[in-house]
Amino acid sequence: MFRYIVKRLIEIIPIIFVVSLLIFFFIHLVPGDPVRLAAGKEATLEEIERVRQELGLDKPLLTQYINYMQNLLTGNLGHSLKTGLPISDMFENRFSVTMTLTFMSLGWALVLGLLIGTISAVFRNKWPDYVGMLTAISGISLPGFWLGLILIQVFSVTLGWFPTGGVDSWKSYVLPSLTLGAGIMSMLARFTRSSLLETLKEDFIRTGRAKGLKESVVVRKHALKNSMIPVVTIAGLQFGFLLGGSVVVETVFSIPGMGRLLIDSIAFRDYPVVQAVILLFSLEFILVNLLVDILYKALNPKIRYDS
Amino acid sequence: MKKASFLRTASVLLFSVALLFGCSSGGGSGSGTPAASNGGATTGAPQKDQLVIAVNENFITMDPQNTGDALSSGVQSAMFEGLLIYDKDLKLMPGLSTEYSVNKDATEYTFKLRQNVKFHDGTPFNAEAVKINFDRMSNKDNNLRAYRNYKYIKSTEVVDEHTVKVTLNQPFSAMINKFTTGIISPAALEKYGKDITKNPVGTGPYKFVEWVQGDHLTVELNPDHWNKGAAKVGKIVYKPVPENGSRVAMLKTGEADVIYPLPEQQVETLNGEEGVKVERTPSTITRYVSINMLKKPFDDPRVRQAINHAVDKDAFIKVVKSGYGAQLESVMSPTIAHYAKQGTYEYNIEKAKQLLKEAGYENGFTTDIWGNTNSDTMKGMQFIQQQLQKVGITVEVKSMEEATLSDEIYGIKSPEEAKMNMWYVSWSSADPDNAMRSLFSSENFPPAGANTAFYKNDLVDQSIKEATQSSDQDKQKQLYGVVQENVFKDAPWIFLAVDEILYGKRANVNGVYITPSGGIYVREAAFQ
Amino acid sequence: MEVVKEIGHNVVVPTEKKSRAREFWKKWKKQKTAFWAGFFILFLFVIALFGPWIAPYDPYEPNYDVTLQTPSIEHWAGTDEYGRDILSRIIVGTGISLGVSFSSVLVGAVVGTILGLISGYYGGWMDRLIMRWSDVMFAFPDLLLAIAIVAILGPGLTNVVVAVAVFSIPSFARLIRGNTLAAKEAVFVEAARSMGAKSSRIMFRHIFPETVSSMIVFFSMRIGTSILAASSLSFLGLGAAPESPDWGAMLSMGRDYLATSPHVVIIPGIAIFLTVLAFNLVGDGLRDILDPKTKN
Repeated sequence: MFRYIVKRLIEIIPIIFVVSLLIFFFIHLVPGDPVRLAAGKEATLEEIERVRQELGLDKPLLTQYINYMQNLLTGNLGHSLKTGLPISDMFENRFSVTMTLTFMSLGWALVLGLLIGTISAVFRNKWPDYVGMLTAISGISLPGFWLGLILIQVFSVTLGWFPTGGVDSWKSYVLPSLTLGAGIMSMLARFTRSSLLETLKEDFIRTGRAKGLKESVVVRKHALKNSMIPVVTIAGLQFGFLLGGSVVVETVFSIPGMGRLLIDSIAFRDYPVVQAVILLFSLEFILVNLLVDILYKALNPKIRYDS
Repeated sequence: MKKASFLRTASVLLFSVALLFGCSSGGGSGSGTPAASNGGATTGAPQKDQLVIAVNENFITMDPQNTGDALSSGVQSAMFEGLLIYDKDLKLMPGLSTEYSVNKDATEYTFKLRQNVKFHDGTPFNAEAVKINFDRMSNKDNNLRAYRNYKYIKSTEVVDEHTVKVTLNQPFSAMINKFTTGIISPAALEKYGKDITKNPVGTGPYKFVEWVQGDHLTVELNPDHWNKGAAKVGKIVYKPVPENGSRVAMLKTGEADVIYPLPEQQVETLNGEEGVKVERTPSTITRYVSINMLKKPFDDPRVRQAINHAVDKDAFIKVVKSGYGAQLESVMSPTIAHYAKQGTYEYNIEKAKQLLKEAGYENGFTTDIWGNTNSDTMKGMQFIQQQLQKVGITVEVKSMEEATLSDEIYGIKSPEEAKMNMWYVSWSSADPDNAMRSLFSSENFPPAGANTAFYKNDLVDQSIKEATQSSDQDKQKQLYGVVQENVFKDAPWIFLAVDEILYGKRANVNGVYITPSGGIYVREAAFQ
Repeated sequence: MEVVKEIGHNVVVPTEKKSRAREFWKKWKKQKTAFWAGFFILFLFVIALFGPWIAPYDPYEPNYDVTLQTPSIEHWAGTDEYGRDILSRIIVGTGISLGVSFSSVLVGAVVGTILGLISGYYGGWMDRLIMRWSDVMFAFPDLLLAIAIVAILGPGLTNVVVAVAVFSIPSFARLIRGNTLAAKEAVFVEAARSMGAKSSRIMFRHIFPETVSSMIVFFSMRIGTSILAASSLSFLGLGAAPESPDWGAMLSMGRDYLATSPHVVIIPGIAIFLTVLAFNLVGDGLRDILDPKTKN
């Protein structure tokens, strides 16, 4: 197990390298010129060339990439083309904000998702199942920005329970994390249910029942564990969507996080910032998936990691 | 599969859930809480002393000499002052200078400076400070935005402690408007270098407290301001809130005291709302469609006029601007100096068809219109599409991201290369030079400038040039009048509307205004 | 003939198919919610096919005198900011939404399933390559990927399909791989292998059926997700042309009016909601029936 983890950690290095290479050339492929935007509508050709030189965007792409990688290896993320500020400064607050938001969303999605899924499976085709699945399905059937706006309208404007946005206290995170987590909660609930139902038909469960074990014991002790594999996979998969979803939710709730920074930076073609944000997102996502694979192994020792 | 393995699984799950919650509460404490106390129910609380202003975008820089966006300069105006400042109606008024004089050719400007003024860091404000600032901006190597205007400065002389003489290298009458650029403390420039963008030190009525990237920027009252007492609010917090609906909600709940911009479609929800006031001001923003005059069929003036006749401007304001705005009756907003009203192209489909027939396009033609991806722009483009359909012109709506769009429009090698046919856009300017020279002078064809209609008229070129070389206001008025008349007649645009500035504020807020150019004027901010 | 077939040895396969279909139908009728949801989807397909002839008004024709009207007898679903009939736009837009989401998920599912089977079955460097590639794909937020794809290819519905399909592929690949890993160890696969069956046969005959149930559930979810994804692209102005009655475009164009004329936003929202709901219910129902263990 330990060797496996070390091996996977080492494998991260080439992935990150490939990601950085891909992003770099990918975003330069997208049409749009940050110099034009930085210099403004009225800029003369001379001004534009001057800005281009100052930002180092006049050099060949390969040289730019080498410079960028050199800086990156020394831990220097570079400066924003838009604000001129060091990117590490811009990340300072935003990173913890987005992490808080994503983990809070994932946290309550996991708890509620597992709960609803289990209840639905146990009470299959009875009313708790219908209520649970209806809740779950509703969660994935609504566009995020739409749900967010309606939550603000109801809980902030009308009832005044939560602030409309910002990150001033834990209360500020309630509505955004509900919005962000809704889809994942639904997916987890559905997967828990279907996976549990499948497991309940397995031979060893039948054996357990035949032995006269109580149904609750069967569910708790045997079925739940064995149905965790797809659920864990989905939770890991969804983490990537959470990062993507943070873009919309951070906009709707005016949260100063990484997602909004990414959207602003893409719009401005602020290459260094886009690169840095995505690199960070990638790293996070890869680490979470590594964790998923490890859990996988813990949950199902049958799976061999012989390769 | 036995008990032990279940326990292990359960503990892993529990652990991971705990980890998630652990992380979240840990991260939460890291983010600041400066505006937390500013809830809606402040009526019973002691004298409210913090004003929250919610705006739609992030601020980019706090270096007033290197700023390109209206929002950043709006925030800076609380902290910085120029030799002259704009008042809330965009009239020039004395700032760090008490009086000035200009020679007839508009090449020499002399300023008497205000005395006993100190920067926020204690540095005295004097002629030397002005010189350091002007030299900074007129030096090409510093690569500042303000260089665009200050490149005309040949030299800045310190005449005495409180007098400065500026000599230009060519006549430039519009220069007077450019002396509104904020003056930075020379000591701070020395100390922070490039980081001045994060550490603004000026002379204004408010001084900088903090700028939490992406979240908010706070300023506090400057007790030593030369015009002490005009502004009364102790603290102002500027917050970027990009989502229109959220901004409106914040005003309703009292989380924000002032919001700008207030989207036209949502004004109605605030009308009649207790404790909230909606403010309207004519703006400097003109809304139009730029027509590429180098391309067929738009090279024919009758086609351009026909298009203007085919568009119902009243319906445009009603449908696209929800009724807020006025018809564009010249090439710029009436709020700008030397405005000359030209009237409108009357909405008349028959006339439009007749003109198209004369031009040889009886059966219409197919073309496209470009614009960015803002919902307002898309709405406007669809409207144009619907209107031109009625005279047989089929328009394809193409919305592009701003960066792609500006590259397509300005990033061309030569004017002939331009692929644009029509461009739905707006322009905001504070002075007539910027409103006309930038957009209609033939030296400003893209990629060199913003004359995206590729408009060329020798009389207009000549008049603009003469106007920039004279400091005589009457002569300027006459020359700019000629420009407006000719451009309007030649119809390089579809003339649509002048926007209204709409902003909302709590009823107990006094003395906070949004200026016609979208600046945020807080020099008299107070609570009732 | 039928009778003969049922008795004959050499025609077992078609008979089996036939009786399976019958069995399926029998079970399907018992799935009440899924049955009605399926009925609703069928109804949507009819609307999608005949929409332009059913719609009471021209969905593109503006009428500035009746802008933003609430539902009435003339306009059952009210009118939008240009005075266009919202019901007509919803009807004509059904085809767009269904077409875009179906084709994009189908492309994603086919490519993703093949990759997932290969990855899980062969393991080794192929597995690592495919999984690391999917890590890389995941590491790109959907939105950026979509923006990039549409920016490079240009806006338009075909490119929306490509963009949505591209970010469906790794999800399918990962899911199928997970199932393949588990199924590979199953007794019957071991048996097939020991009998010397070819890899491709084992993959598609033995392992693939094991993955079908999860895939169907996921497919139904992805239909919903892709309707929402396409609407996000329209929301960013990168999807369908703004004048087209695409539900996503209607929703995002209308959101400025949420506070004043909520029906402009709520009605396309409900259309999306019901459609996604129906697909999910059908997915659940199918899953219960097609479960490989109950089938055998």
